[in-house]
Amino acid sequence: MEMHPFVAMNGIEKSFNGVPVLKKVTLEVERGEIHALLGENGAGKSTLMNILGGVHQPDSGQILIGGEEIKLANPHVSQAQGISFIHQELNMVGDLRVYENMFLGSEIRTRFGFLNVEEMCRQTHEILAQLGVSIDPKEYVRNLATSYKQLIEISKALLHKSQLIIMDEPTTSLAEHEVSRLFILMKNLKKSGVSIIYISHKLKEIQEVCDRYTVLRDGQLVKTDIMQNENLEVITKLMVGKSISQDRYVHEHEFGELALEVQGLTSTGLFKHIDFTVRQGEIVGFTGLAGDGRTELFESLFGYRKKYTGTVKVKGKPVHITHPRKALQAGMGYVPKDRKENAIIKDLSVIHNMSLSSMGNFERMGFIQDKKEQEQFNTYKKALNIKVHNPRITIDKLSGGNQQKVIIAKWLEAETDILIFDNPTQGIDVGAKQEIYQQILTLAKLGKAIIILSSEAPEVMRICHSIHVMYHGEITARFTGDEASEEEIMHYATGAKREGEKIG
Amino acid sequence: MANIDTKEYSPESPSVKSRLTWLWSEYSVIIAFVIIYIGASAMNPRFLDINNQLNILMQVSIIGIIALGMTVVMLSGGIDLSVGSVLALAGVISVLALNASGSILVGVFTALLVGSFAGFLNGLMVAKGRIASFIATLGMMAGARSIALYIAEGGSVSGEVSGFTAIANNNLWIFDFPVIIFFVMAVLIYVLMHKTRFGRYVYALGSNEKAAMLSAIRVDRIKIGVYTLIGTLVGIAAVIETSRLNSISSSSSGSQYELDAIAAVIIGGTRMTGGRGKIIGTIFGILILGILNNMMNLMNVSPHLQGFVKGLIIIIAVVFQKRE
Ligand SMILES: Nc1ncnc2c1ncn2[C@@H]1O[C@H](COP(=O)(O)OP(=O)(O)OP(=O)(O)O)[C@@H](O)[C@H]1O
Ligand SMILES: [Mg+2]
Repeated sequence: MEMHPFVAMNGIEKSFNGVPVLKKVTLEVERGEIHALLGENGAGKSTLMNILGGVHQPDSGQILIGGEEIKLANPHVSQAQGISFIHQELNMVGDLRVYENMFLGSEIRTRFGFLNVEEMCRQTHEILAQLGVSIDPKEYVRNLATSYKQLIEISKALLHKSQLIIMDEPTTSLAEHEVSRLFILMKNLKKSGVSIIYISHKLKEIQEVCDRYTVLRDGQLVKTDIMQNENLEVITKLMVGKSISQDRYVHEHEFGELALEVQGLTSTGLFKHIDFTVRQGEIVGFTGLAGDGRTELFESLFGYRKKYTGTVKVKGKPVHITHPRKALQAGMGYVPKDRKENAIIKDLSVIHNMSLSSMGNFERMGFIQDKKEQEQFNTYKKALNIKVHNPRITIDKLSGGNQQKVIIAKWLEAETDILIFDNPTQGIDVGAKQEIYQQILTLAKLGKAIIILSSEAPEVMRICHSIHVMYHGEITARFTGDEASEEEIMHYATGAKREGEKIG
Repeated sequence: MANIDTKEYSPESPSVKSRLTWLWSEYSVIIAFVIIYIGASAMNPRFLDINNQLNILMQVSIIGIIALGMTVVMLSGGIDLSVGSVLALAGVISVLALNASGSILVGVFTALLVGSFAGFLNGLMVAKGRIASFIATLGMMAGARSIALYIAEGGSVSGEVSGFTAIANNNLWIFDFPVIIFFVMAVLIYVLMHKTRFGRYVYALGSNEKAAMLSAIRVDRIKIGVYTLIGTLVGIAAVIETSRLNSISSSSSGSQYELDAIAAVIIGGTRMTGGRGKIIGTIFGILILGILNNMMNLMNVSPHLQGFVKGLIIIIAVVFQKRE
């Protein structure tokens, strides 16, 4: 091997508006290694990678590739150096087809200068197949589930035969078996000498696939070491400064009245014959793989989709919800998944994003009280540990995890009796996850009905009283929180076992 | 907040630089305004004459009122091309109502009603019919003009009620009524956009419509409200326009007003696709246009060339916007 590492970032410093975000950070990546980059929300991981990807320029410090100093003036230069970047937020163009997104900016042409659609479709199909995905390359991206979009985003980076692939939280919307396919692929890439920088808040994944790790805290390098030597608890401690238990939460409270009853809900092509109930104080989980229809189900309940049949009762009263506003009036709140598309208003400030669904709480005689908004935000900032220097800046300046916390705050503020969380801890660090679970538990104790949708079986197993597993638009199994096992959930989620055996 | 920054982290050279870029990006219209203002006073001493200054304000007031509404429409992610035609239609019908009833109040209310109704129709087409605002209001532009021409038989209609002309031609102290109306409207729209939920929702909708809807905002109603609002403002502008000369032409009144209004909004820094922009910016945008017009008149630039200069300014403004 060579003397110098493949990529070295030395003494990188970066500040935004006078606020230092990276302080003399050093990162070295060898050829053919998978290097984990870890740290709390807002630690500076994405910023460091944006510098390596040519998106941001460092204030000082140098970047060496193969021992030579390089100035990465823009993303094109970075790509030309063999660096591919899978960004934390999805960057798909919904109105383009899958293959058009894959080859955006690097289209394949025939000898005559026309687009070679066939070849592009073939390559798209090939790469997606490696990830175990079979979708029509000519499908419009807007029609696809989030997890597919994320897989396409990953495939796009694989297209460019890169030397280094940066993966900034690539698995936030993926189910377990999709993740394991990705890992097999990553290990193969590694064998062929490609290096990968892998950012994730799912520590189990990290341990499984990474060779070395680097931990950042508040923009400073805390430690770089070999993965094998460490157990997860130590790493957690390095990241958040305390150890975090992974045990199941014990609930000891009585449920109240029926809060939500759903009967025979059907929407052609999305879900069918859905029955379930949620009591006050109960936490109900829904899990399954991509295409299981759970998100569509709850988007329908929340009034975002209108074409469905069946009956819905809130507190015993039948309701007909045709718009999210009506859902809110009926006492339902919904934290959507995919924050960039569905939740973030990027031109509004952090505070204004927080108050958007509950303006009534901040008005006096029809006028918004800025001070009240500010005070309320400070409460959430403390409760959820939101890292923001100046809450009047637009929300897109926050780190991904902190944006997610603001969205959760927004729906906590709406104070609805029923709260639906779709993939609520997307991109949230281990410490903050704990705080959010705690919040959810407190809400349940106060008698709110909680529904949690997640592609991660362990997440629903940790906090839910009961769990519904969905497969192809149907509920195939129901468990109570303490009797569920990951393995069994997987059987039902993949359709290996069917309804009737379990439901009773 | 800026002071807190400086307390915690001593501002070093990069942050001074970044603060300057921030200042420029936030207030570039005002800076441009100051530069143009100083340039104008240096080039022609008559420019600073108080009567000339008041004259500029008077000249921009009608477009200014429309541009306020246009700002709101463009913040919501739409556009309204029908303002000029609706102004003519509202003017024509209101003069008929004025003459028939002999009441100034009836005339004014008719103008407001016609304006709001046309706006409401635009809103319905955009929100419920899901027609692109460009197309919907283009249709309204043709339709409203045609009805105005039909009613007035292609010509002008004049008011026959004494006192109607007072609306646009009287003044309070040194300010003409239209200027006062413009500023009152500006304050009202500012408050609406920054102190009420309607304004907040408009920004949200222009920035990310899906997320706005999932935040339980009645996106349709807000859109209808936005177009109705600009319609009402056009109605007010129609009253002033009609009252100024006590007549309105069905063929030429209001023509190209949409261009001037859109120009003012863009020069004022509002983003074409919505979600970002300020009422204050539009006010300075309209003042910049007014000063340029005034300067060209004072310097005897051919009126045929004035459009060229205006076009140039718009393009420069857009280029600056793109840079950020
Ligand atoms: N463009 C920007 N302007 C101002 N501040 C920014 C900008 N980009 C990032 N920051 C700040 O830099 C800090 C680090 O953000 P970064 O996105 O690197 O965090 P992260 O480690 O990726 O966190 P997460 O796990 O939540 O994604 C945050 O406090 C964020 O507010
Ligand atoms: Mg990040």
